[in-house]
Amino acid sequence: MPPELISIFGTPFYEALSDKQRKRLSLFEIGNFFSLVLQGERPLVQGLVHRLYLKSSSCEVTEYLHHFVDEENKHMVMFGEFCNRYLGKVYPEKKIALARDYSKGEEEVAFFCKVMVVEELGDYYNVLIDRDERVDPLVRQINRVHHVDEARHLAFGRVHLAELCERHVPQWSPETLAGFRAWLAEYLRASWGDYYNPTMYRDAGLADSYDVRQMALNHPACAAQRARASAKLVKYFVKTGLLAEEPRL
Amino acid sequence: MQEHEVRTKLRDWIAKRAKKPLTAGFNDETPVLELGILSSLDIVEFVLFIENLRGDEVDADNIQPEAFTNISTLYSAFFERT
Repeated sequence: MPPELISIFGTPFYEALSDKQRKRLSLFEIGNFFSLVLQGERPLVQGLVHRLYLKSSSCEVTEYLHHFVDEENKHMVMFGEFCNRYLGKVYPEKKIALARDYSKGEEEVAFFCKVMVVEELGDYYNVLIDRDERVDPLVRQINRVHHVDEARHLAFGRVHLAELCERHVPQWSPETLAGFRAWLAEYLRASWGDYYNPTMYRDAGLADSYDVRQMALNHPACAAQRARASAKLVKYFVKTGLLAEEPRL
Repeated sequence: MQEHEVRTKLRDWIAKRAKKPLTAGFNDETPVLELGILSSLDIVEFVLFIENLRGDEVDADNIQPEAFTNISTLYSAFFERT
């Protein structure tokens, strides 16, 4: 992982680490990054498969979803293999889904927002890691392969989500729209939380790993990194009206 | 750590993250998700807090939504050793 993308880069805690500690952390950071993309792709594939051949999915959309699912499955194989081979595990996700009521179209818009979040944030890292000559060639190659596929998924996702917004959002009540915007901002913040994994810090040999996470979540250097990485995504959500303003991340 | 200390720490965490002010009647049986005091998006952060409190990871494959009903169910699910 390039040093600048390490979750605690720019903090006094990171500055105090030795080169050896930084390199060890770098390995576990890339493993955590691959794990969280893999974990994000699992429900994505589930949701995409559910949408195949629905009456509301056109033939063109279904045809593309087949490719989408195929490529996402291959990504999970790739990330899983890397994590198991070099870390001995894939970091688990600790989310639970709770049933709730949705307004018409709200669940569909929320699903494709989640797709955008996992893919846009992942792609920001993929591009920077691929370009960085300091990074191990295998890791660069994995990020390149993922970016090439994700570029197509993102292009599809942006157009499809914009169409869903045009169709559904004008029908929502002001309360529904306000509730959705609050959820999306919170979802973005929660997604960023996955980048600061106490188990990953502990595996890298850092003491007081939960405190490291809390420190990073509150440190301005880390907040600035989250804002940089989210800028394109947030701009899209504001443009489509799904966010009213740039959220605090 | 004693049971009452754990319950106090869980209560303090909920109060800090609450989406709405806790009423005077808030207690260990108050349903925190059903009443919208916490949302599902708070769960990951809460699980990490619980892991830190008990000094051990929770089994991610077996996290049940019911465990997050209230402070008593949280205590039973994550702190009572069988």
